[in-house]
Amino acid sequence: MNDSENLKARRNLKALVELSRVINSSLDLEFILNNLLLTCLGKFLTTRGFIALNLNGSLQPRAKKGITDEQFQNFPVIKNKTELQSEQFKEYLTSINILAFDEICSFQECLGIIALGEKLNKAPYSDDDLEFLHTITNIAATAIQNSLMLSELKKTNRILDSRISRLNSLFELSKEFGLFSESTKVARLLVYSVIGQFLVQKFAVVSFEGKNLKILESKFPQDELLNALKNCNTKLITSSISKKEIEADYTDLQKFGIELIVPMQLQGETKGLILLGKRASESEYSEADIEYIYSVGSLAIVSIENQRLFKEALEKQKLEEDLEIAHDIQKNLLPHKIPQFTNFNVVANTVFSKQVGGDYYDVITLDNNNFCIAIADVSGKGVSAALMMANLQAFLKTICKQGMQIDEATGLINDLITENTTEGKFITFFWAIIENDSKQMLYVNAGHNHPLLIRKGKIKKLDKGGIILGVMNTMIPYISERLQLETDDVMILFTDGVSEAMNQKGEEFTDERLEKLSLSLVEKPAKDISDTIQKEVSKFAYGTVQSDDITLMVIKVK
Amino acid sequence: MAEFSTSIKDQGNINIVYLKGFLDAHTAPSLENTFSGLVDKGRYQIVVNFKDLAYISSAGLGVFMAFIEKIRENNGDIKLSSMSDKVFNIFDLLGFPLLYEIFKTEEEAVKKFNEIK
Repeated sequence: MNDSENLKARRNLKALVELSRVINSSLDLEFILNNLLLTCLGKFLTTRGFIALNLNGSLQPRAKKGITDEQFQNFPVIKNKTELQSEQFKEYLTSINILAFDEICSFQECLGIIALGEKLNKAPYSDDDLEFLHTITNIAATAIQNSLMLSELKKTNRILDSRISRLNSLFELSKEFGLFSESTKVARLLVYSVIGQFLVQKFAVVSFEGKNLKILESKFPQDELLNALKNCNTKLITSSISKKEIEADYTDLQKFGIELIVPMQLQGETKGLILLGKRASESEYSEADIEYIYSVGSLAIVSIENQRLFKEALEKQKLEEDLEIAHDIQKNLLPHKIPQFTNFNVVANTVFSKQVGGDYYDVITLDNNNFCIAIADVSGKGVSAALMMANLQAFLKTICKQGMQIDEATGLINDLITENTTEGKFITFFWAIIENDSKQMLYVNAGHNHPLLIRKGKIKKLDKGGIILGVMNTMIPYISERLQLETDDVMILFTDGVSEAMNQKGEEFTDERLEKLSLSLVEKPAKDISDTIQKEVSKFAYGTVQSDDITLMVIKVK
Repeated sequence: MAEFSTSIKDQGNINIVYLKGFLDAHTAPSLENTFSGLVDKGRYQIVVNFKDLAYISSAGLGVFMAFIEKIRENNGDIKLSSMSDKVFNIFDLLGFPLLYEIFKTEEEAVKKFNEIK
């Protein structure tokens, strides 16, 4: 070996050692590639070159010198080693003035290529040159592989971090949702964890309550969103809807910039929707993203639904308590024991419905010879009806003892009731004053089901009076009618619970049926008449739920 | 039970919000109240100092997303400062640097507000 060759060899060796030292001191890929390229340019005295790495299955340029971006635009797709030898690739390299390249191979795999342009002295690449280039790439391969592995690790780590963060969020939310939170608070937390996770600024959360849509949270204009949602059969959404599908099938929603719809489901039924606008990163929602949103949504809807059921149960309980109170009031208003008179046998009874129907009856002794009978049906149900009934009873008991004329008294009761009721509430009312000795009766009927007076197989309906109580102040005076009762006369007073009792076919018991039944019973004592009618009505309505009180008063003249 | 608290310092037109402890789904409403309070008062220039924040979850991050639009519409901004590496990593992971300016120190964040004027 002569001196100059010796010197050259030493210089080459020195360059290799230097390169090895530099590139192995760093794990930064750009730095390594840049250094590798510069070393080659210097060594082979060329102004251009590039390094392309095998990434995601094809060769991608990663570092370049003296080559423009435009020239890389036509970079051919190279997927394997044989394609490196293809005419197409050679043509491309020639077109950008690249004359030599070498593969960068580690022990396991081919990492990519380094390619170099024409030397300044225009000399071709000698075998020595190529061998030296090969030595360089061998040294570089390890450094490049280490660096690639590191970035792969970093990427995996980030994905893991992101998974952990999502799991943490889910865990946290499940804890939070488990407490009985208001549904608006649940929706807000849901929104926060979703928009925080995906950097979204526009969003909405809606829930279905029966047929209604309720917006729990929205950064879209609420009314317009509600209208748009109503137009698109949202209840049928059972899986998430992507941006593309929204563009195709939900143009109404697309206008708001909604890019993702995720249903909130409970036992396979859609109970609500999460609507999201675009992400700040402009990237689309991935499968994993949607899965996360779905999980958060499912957690939230359980809580929202629990809250709703809890409220419903509370209301039901309250309602039942309310009804119980109403029942108590009603029972206490009705006479515990019905007074009996020498010439009259009076029987009265109410079969209560589950809901308080507002039926009322009374038999009040006025003095040794006179008594008052009354029957009424208060509109409405529950406590309000019971209280109105109490009002009526108080007025009635007071007025009875005043010795007022019954027609005038009815007008006064009407005025009092009208003043004391809210709009739409009213009372149908029938009452009579009966003189025991003379068997005379004076009655007024204020819109109540006409009581039947049965004498010798004929029915007279007691229909004189005026309008129902509580609708307006008395303008037209009530009319009373005086009747002379006779022995064996039977009077049947009832509420619409009797005549309107329904059977399973939805047919009513009807006045006609009651009249016919009553006519057949007149020979019997008052108690039997009453019991038989009650029995017939309940037989008729067998298998249905009694929706109204059934009240019956039977008076038989001795 | 992890605790969380906020405190506010007025510095001219700028409000500095100090976060302390654990910001998660449970404590997010507290930060929400703090921001609501500032927005209601028309205080739109906000620097959030994360020096004493130990942990933030996505629900906590969501609070920042919920207010940023309104605040920017009013020519304000939320700038973030003094995060520990752990907290920064979470912000970074979810791409927050795209939307928010994050500074090493509170002073730099404040300075940025003053520069714009």
